[in-house]
Amino acid sequence: MTERGPDAVVVGAGHNGLVTAAYLARAGLRTVVLERRDEPGGALATAEIAPGYRVPALAHTVGRLWTSVVRDLRLHEHGLDPIAPEVRLFAPQPDGRSLTLWADRARTARELRGWSARDSEAYPLFDQKVRSLSSFLAHVHASTPPDLKKPSASDALAGLKLARAFRGLGKKGTRELLRVLPMAVADFVGEAFETDALRGAIAARGIQYAAMGPWSAGTTAVLLADSAGNDGGAAGQTVFVRGGPGSLAGSLASAARSSGVEIRSGAEVVRVTSSGDRVTGVALSSGEEISSPIVVCGIDPKRTLLSLVDPAAVGPSLVWRAGNLRLPGVVAKVNLALSGLPTFVADGGAESERLKGRIAVAPGIDYLERGFDASKYGRVSEQPYLEATIPSLADPGLAPEGGHVMSVLVQWTPYHRREGDWDAERDGLGDLVLKTLDALAPGISDLVVARQVITPLDLERDYGLTEGHPLHGEPGLDQLFAWRPMLGHSRYRLALRGLYLCGSGAHPGGGVTGGPGANAAREILADRKGRSRG
Amino acid sequence: MTERYDAIVIGAGHNGLVAGAYLAGAGLKTIVLERRHIVGGAAVTEEVFPGFRFSVASYVVSLLRPEIIRDLELPRHGLEILPLDGTFTPLDDDYLWRVNDHWRTVRELRRWSRMDAEAYEEYGQLMFDMARFIKPILSIVPPDPARLDPRPWFPLARLARRFQKLPARHQATFIQLMTMSASDFLDQWFETDPLKATMAASGIIGTFQGIRSPGTAYVLLHHYMGEIDGAFRAWGIPKGGTGGVSHAIASAARAQGAEIRTEAPVAQILTKGRRAIGVTLDSGEEIAGGIVLSSLDVRRTMIGLLEPGTLDAEFEQEVRRYKFRGSSGKVNLALDGLPDFTCLPNAEDLEHLRGAVSFSPSVDYMERAYDDAKYGSFSARPYIDIVIPTLVDPSMAPPGKHVMSCFVQYAPYHLSNGRQWDDATREAFGDAVIETIAERAPNLEKLILHRQVLTPLDLEQTFGLTEGNIFQGELSLEQLFFSRPVPGWAQYRTPVKDLWLCGSATHPGGGLMGAPGRIAALQAIKAARAA
Repeated sequence: MTERGPDAVVVGAGHNGLVTAAYLARAGLRTVVLERRDEPGGALATAEIAPGYRVPALAHTVGRLWTSVVRDLRLHEHGLDPIAPEVRLFAPQPDGRSLTLWADRARTARELRGWSARDSEAYPLFDQKVRSLSSFLAHVHASTPPDLKKPSASDALAGLKLARAFRGLGKKGTRELLRVLPMAVADFVGEAFETDALRGAIAARGIQYAAMGPWSAGTTAVLLADSAGNDGGAAGQTVFVRGGPGSLAGSLASAARSSGVEIRSGAEVVRVTSSGDRVTGVALSSGEEISSPIVVCGIDPKRTLLSLVDPAAVGPSLVWRAGNLRLPGVVAKVNLALSGLPTFVADGGAESERLKGRIAVAPGIDYLERGFDASKYGRVSEQPYLEATIPSLADPGLAPEGGHVMSVLVQWTPYHRREGDWDAERDGLGDLVLKTLDALAPGISDLVVARQVITPLDLERDYGLTEGHPLHGEPGLDQLFAWRPMLGHSRYRLALRGLYLCGSGAHPGGGVTGGPGANAAREILADRKGRSRG
Repeated sequence: MTERYDAIVIGAGHNGLVAGAYLAGAGLKTIVLERRHIVGGAAVTEEVFPGFRFSVASYVVSLLRPEIIRDLELPRHGLEILPLDGTFTPLDDDYLWRVNDHWRTVRELRRWSRMDAEAYEEYGQLMFDMARFIKPILSIVPPDPARLDPRPWFPLARLARRFQKLPARHQATFIQLMTMSASDFLDQWFETDPLKATMAASGIIGTFQGIRSPGTAYVLLHHYMGEIDGAFRAWGIPKGGTGGVSHAIASAARAQGAEIRTEAPVAQILTKGRRAIGVTLDSGEEIAGGIVLSSLDVRRTMIGLLEPGTLDAEFEQEVRRYKFRGSSGKVNLALDGLPDFTCLPNAEDLEHLRGAVSFSPSVDYMERAYDDAKYGSFSARPYIDIVIPTLVDPSMAPPGKHVMSCFVQYAPYHLSNGRQWDDATREAFGDAVIETIAERAPNLEKLILHRQVLTPLDLEQTFGLTEGNIFQGELSLEQLFFSRPVPGWAQYRTPVKDLWLCGSATHPGGGLMGAPGRIAALQAIKAARAA
């Protein structure tokens, strides 16, 4: 044991861990971040998969990062250089048509006329509706869920603020919000549009990373949450970081360090130590113990409660509940180094301007639902939903002259396979993705210089994502807000005094937002203030 | 106009009759108008084949509100509910059989899994407690979330305070019940596949959802609510079929002074200055009324019975947006004997057939049945809930013969690939059901004397259930409580003054409950007295 431990230990240097650490250090806490891997950043990583080809290893867009986090941590001073292309989404269809969603909704609406005059007219209104409803969710995301059992004065105050924002939606808006939140996203887009291609392109964001299909209740909430607090609207955000996502990790780490945070890589926490109902610190795999009155976990709640904490200290009931947390991973990643730019045969697919954003293979609601169906029975869909980006188009430095990198999120690839194991199926998954892409961009396979396949099992082993779930917990209606990750444990305080959760398993959930990290820091500091006062 | 009433009720389904009884009981001169030749709506008994009487559509009493049974003195009017005992799930070479006798069920479960047998007990107690907590919601008038007046919120606030006093574990379970899928919820407790599938099945009855669809867990509670009302025997088969319930309510309504006219289809609701003043019948006859309550669904009432242009465009659009999506059908069989299940051959006593026989062998089976429907086909191998009423009420068929009621899911109202519900698809659907049962009870085919197949289209045409939805509209989360049937209009009122909705399209929804009819009538009476 060291002579005197830090004021706070953060387990895991993912983006949320770094955000929490930075806020704590800025408030004067001596904070240490412990990271199992060699580099900080967690899911924010840039991987060089062939000499000179640098590709987003996991997450590829960062447009959901809270502006308050960027501002508070002065990330621009620490090298953050975002790139927001004019195009948000390109959706090539199997029949050779395509549709493009632009940052400029009028432009999108104009182009939609080719599909349907009705949808062209409806699009700006729908975009406005998504923005309005999700702006309320941004308020919800920024607040700590109330203690339903014993609401405090500050809960009441937060409640009043939320109520004001709620009323700000207007009579129609409030009723509409309550109606659509639990709705299936297929219905949400179906009420607005008649074009199946458009429905699929938009609905896909409601099911991304989730073990749900577009007909599952609550997927509208996922879609709206994705647009909360950013400029996403109906089209969704598409923002890259110059140098790849790893450079955002670098900015966060630099901001944290400049506030006094110590980041230790290669330091795997194997146990949270406790005495009675209080944490006392952590133990590392090396045998080293670090004592600290505050332990903040950036890793998922299931892993935290089932493998780091002493089960006797938290009791069998909580262990049982933690064991029932749902995080069935259904996504994988295929990263490609390409010797040239692929050409999509669909309309406009040769214009690199349209390929600069996200490229969605989600041609319709049934396509997405059938992909989900396969995953229900533990199979990989033969027709996967893909979200691809070619970040080298906007950021040429990521690939050698003339070359490109392509980052492909693949869904549905269930972690829990009924047959076969992921290590044996890794190449099969890579082939499936290329086959799917080849049908839309013939010849892409011939451009492949190198290929990296990250299966759900890899996500668990290499990134510590239990069951390969990138969001640390399914974003279902049963694991949201005051019950994320569990009712009674949604306020960042977890099981033991001094133990906190700051990762995506906490409210407001997954995605590169920094939200759970920022909210957790606020609650930790409030507890400290309360204690010093008391 | 010929005659004048204080209150006119459109439709003599169970909710319309309940509303009529309460209105008349409050001293209002009330008439209930029914299109068909019999009262009861979807709760009717008809002699479909000579000597064989069927509960044609609705076939069990689920949750008839005890306060209605009490207020209307229904037992005195002939209501008698015979108990259904247990659920028998036939499998390939085994079965899962749960009965009301708790210990016997636990012993049976032990055969499958010791852990499940243990959990069953704890689960049962928890569900019982949850049902007791949530039950008041069935009698609450949902407030309008957009209005600031705190008074309509009081009942909900009382519930919230009770929630705060619940133990932490119950609170968490309640949230899960309101948000999870039935299958995910049960996964926390059980590992036996047929057990999970059979229990979860109650969560999807009448909805266009699968047992893995979020929002289906809540209905698991209904079973336990029935148990709480056990003293009134709220679960079971009414003697004489479900029509028996309707007759009892009709008799109670008449006793209160309500007039009930059958074969009196309403053609239009008459309005004057956006206020309902009466109705016109198909015959041209006009009936004047102080208030009009419609037990028809919101679309049939507001679009079908009002003169176009009465409603503002926005409200009309919201009514049109209301989802029906019928997902079930019914097969009624007249049998020469009883089915013999291969998993329990030549059973000496017929105890396993005295309850429900559930075709729900696995979670995957249920989910695949749903998958078929999602893409516009009836399930090749559907979920079937079978009841043989003649085993508890032999009066339903000639001696030695039986009637068998098969509730079948899924059968989507909208078929894909240009197919329609017609004689050919109806028979194909019926064949799929018979084949499915015959796989596990091969003697069935020889026993069939007559069969009646009801598709969702038949349910619509016969009973006026739009798109064949048995609950007058999908019971999905976005169409419940605050938002049933239209956001902001969950208080049984409509934008047309003196026109009220009192059917299953209003809170708390469908099932042979009677709650919408009762609450709507009480609201209308209150408003009439205030005026």
